[in-house]
Amino acid sequence: MARKAPITNRVRELRREHGSMTQAELGEAIGVTRQTVIAIEQNRYSPSLESAFRIARLFGVGLEDVFSWDE
Amino acid sequence: MPFREKSAWIMSVGLLLGGFWYFRTVLSAWSESGQLVPPDMPSILAFTGCLVALAVVGHIVIAALAPSDANAAVDEREQQIFVRAGHYSSYVFGFGVVTSLGAYVFIGSGDLLFYTVFASLLLGQVLEYLFQIFFYRTSV
Repeated sequence: MARKAPITNRVRELRREHGSMTQAELGEAIGVTRQTVIAIEQNRYSPSLESAFRIARLFGVGLEDVFSWDE
Repeated sequence: MPFREKSAWIMSVGLLLGGFWYFRTVLSAWSESGQLVPPDMPSILAFTGCLVALAVVGHIVIAALAPSDANAAVDEREQQIFVRAGHYSSYVFGFGVVTSLGAYVFIGSGDLLFYTVFASLLLGQVLEYLFQIFFYRTSV
């Protein structure tokens, strides 16, 4: 059973807001595989701080607009 | 499915089949002669040759099916997967080796030592691949 990470994100939503960017395109832009993007979107993997910043910068938003701590 | 997960499937199946064949050969020779037979080079070479052939052919096939995946560098999640899988499987290998050395101290059979260390190596490696598959499919 997959353990959900306590950090939730809006990556899928932001990806769709930005011209329906594909998971593969996002992965290529931030330097991870498509499978890792899928794992991030499903909250199965919390990305490194560097990748988190790359995602936020790519979408032109702040880090806390993408990721939040799920109490 | 990621390229390296497919690779883990190929290697784990290859090692399981090869290990099963090798130890079945050893056990049948043991039951025929009534004593543990020393390791013989032809069986080890056959095992190694078949495993290498399967690994090469299998990886060529999965790389041909998805060339871009095969060329992709290992990313941060995969690095964590490999480290964690290697960490857990090392306990199994270490336990097997220590147990084998203990058995050697009490029994004094070098042949048995070879087989148990070889089995530990195979088991540890198979488990490393299975842990990789597990972590690919769950969370890291």
